[in-house]
Amino acid sequence: MKVFQRLAHAFQAEGVTATFGMMGDGNMFWLHELHNLGVKVHEVRHEGAGLGMADGWARATRQVGVATATCGPGTTQLATAFVTASRAESPLVAFCGEHPVSDPEYSQRFNPAIFAEACESGFVRMHTADQADEAVRKAFFLARTQNRPILLSVPMDLQQEEWEDDEPYVPSTTMITPTRPNPDPDVLKRVADLIAKSKKPVIIVGRGAQWADAGDAVVKLGDRIGAMLATSLLAKTWLNDKCDYHAGISGNYGSRASMQLMHDADLVIGIGASLNRYTLENGYLYPDAQIVQIDSKPQVLMHGVSAANIYVHADAKVGTEQLEKVLAERKFTNTGYRTPDVKKKLAHHWDDPTQFEIDPGTMDPRPAIIMIDEIVPTHISLFSGSGMSSGMSNMLMQRRRPMNQAGHFFGCIGQMLPAAIGAMAATGKKPAIMLDGDASFLMHLAEFETAVRYEMPLLVVVMNNQALGAEYYKLEVKKMNVETSQIPTPDLGSVAVALGGKGALVRNIDQLRTAVLEWVAKPGPMVIDMRISRTVMSIPYRRLHYGKDE
Amino acid sequence: MIEVNQRIEVPASTQAVWEVLSDPHAVVECVKGASLGERHEDGSYDAGLLVSFGPAKVTFRAQFNLELDPPAMTGKVSSRGKDKQGGTKIKADMTFAVTERPEPPGSVIIIDAKTEVSGRMAMIVEGGAKMVVEHMTKDFSKRLTARLNGTPITD
Repeated sequence: MKVFQRLAHAFQAEGVTATFGMMGDGNMFWLHELHNLGVKVHEVRHEGAGLGMADGWARATRQVGVATATCGPGTTQLATAFVTASRAESPLVAFCGEHPVSDPEYSQRFNPAIFAEACESGFVRMHTADQADEAVRKAFFLARTQNRPILLSVPMDLQQEEWEDDEPYVPSTTMITPTRPNPDPDVLKRVADLIAKSKKPVIIVGRGAQWADAGDAVVKLGDRIGAMLATSLLAKTWLNDKCDYHAGISGNYGSRASMQLMHDADLVIGIGASLNRYTLENGYLYPDAQIVQIDSKPQVLMHGVSAANIYVHADAKVGTEQLEKVLAERKFTNTGYRTPDVKKKLAHHWDDPTQFEIDPGTMDPRPAIIMIDEIVPTHISLFSGSGMSSGMSNMLMQRRRPMNQAGHFFGCIGQMLPAAIGAMAATGKKPAIMLDGDASFLMHLAEFETAVRYEMPLLVVVMNNQALGAEYYKLEVKKMNVETSQIPTPDLGSVAVALGGKGALVRNIDQLRTAVLEWVAKPGPMVIDMRISRTVMSIPYRRLHYGKDE
Repeated sequence: MIEVNQRIEVPASTQAVWEVLSDPHAVVECVKGASLGERHEDGSYDAGLLVSFGPAKVTFRAQFNLELDPPAMTGKVSSRGKDKQGGTKIKADMTFAVTERPEPPGSVIIIDAKTEVSGRMAMIVEGGAKMVVEHMTKDFSKRLTARLNGTPITD
């Protein structure tokens, strides 16, 4: 057996069933062996997109996603996706070829260790052929325990050496003891004392609570203490089907009514949520609130500057259940926010009554998105892109779906299409829709062809304003030439057809309805090029750039 | 740096306008969300200001100095403040001058203000802070005019 074969066997023994990446001479033999072993090898059109797909896989399953790139120029393509995955706390291993150790002047030579560090990722190198098992095991161990990407660098020439050890590979999972940290009882008593004094408590849940399966515990605690429930952006819509006092996203994607209610809070309990600057609006969303944070990390610095008034180091589910138990023993209950008045304020709180004149041949994106949410059944997952368009989709796509992925992570566009493909591959290629802007979708347009090739039932709705949306509005507010941010696009529906999928160009709500319903009836890879009016500014942008709230 | 230059025409004599602008209590009544605190030995005042940035409401605690030149009917207001949580600082310097209207009766008030917002709030309001400051300046003009006209101040 060659070392590249052993490496492939080791990956399979780690539980890997799929990879995403491009073949090159630094990884081709390893990929060939994975294919022989029955691992699904997804060939993509850009290495960075491949890593983005592995990121989507990890976000959907919390299992290690695997990407691959060849040495040098293949590896450098991973940069943006590496940082994005690191910020998303996605466990990943990227198998990267490295130039031959025997040829330091090789044209594709590159120092991947420095690169990984700059990309906020871990690094493991196979220094000698007989370290193959150790290197793979360490890479997976670090990915699983640190929840971030690990660049596994494997020199090309070492891959061709003989592997003579016939001992079975020992996977990294044997070195990891899963734990659910229990809260300190004394700390919980302090939290219960704080809750007893609170008149207006808000619970903010994040992905940590979702990952810990803390939903029922959160709802029970919220009912007991009369909390208004909100989520981080990353956990958007979670539990909104289980609580009548759900205020949506805490932060700039929140409605005016919910933010006004949040402003009155005297206590915020963050559960599995980092409570970063966006979720708390740097603290200004809850100016008079004490903060309690329940999280499995040993400590968290909220929005980079301050700690919670009481930090509970605990698994989200265990911590919430035990807190609720302490309160039950005290027979504590509170009405809090749970009043008819609050319920009334939260009913239809997403309505945006501001009127804009619509450019000819385009539509108002707001009713269009609301209609999409209504006519796409809730068993279909949702992926929301980043950029200006997310100000619409993150606020207006309200129905709970199996996957509801959103997030800015590195603040870059173009990353959600790969993530959507990876997440779909991880969950049995069930139908999903993605809403994204035109510049964002076009950045990795080639990967729509990947979606076609692997028969992904993905509907991409491109909110096409033929501009770099964020820059357009920033130029406009400074009274500069907005034309510099405008980029005309071809008919992206026709482009999708040329790439082997289905497509439509829609300019009004009836055309949109017809196209969406066509896809709902028979899901497959499809692009709807939805022309939207640049005159309609999202609520978050109105707040950021004009200080307005309507 | 947010710069606002405002020219306000009011149907009141320069003396009547000056009496308002030289009285900190009267000025504060023309600023929505403002309250006047103690006067210090050095002549400076404490003040509070509740500002709405979109849906966020921020209470600033400030100290300001008022320098007046009655013969020239000009003044300078220098203020420094920070929010209740200490994450945002605000620095504002404003000069004003009262003159007769070119076509009497009435007065003209020329206001030049420079405001800096720094810290955590500045990170989340981006360009919105400029709009808020401009809006507040216009609102001040509206309230000042209403006061000089003797009409009720409405929101």
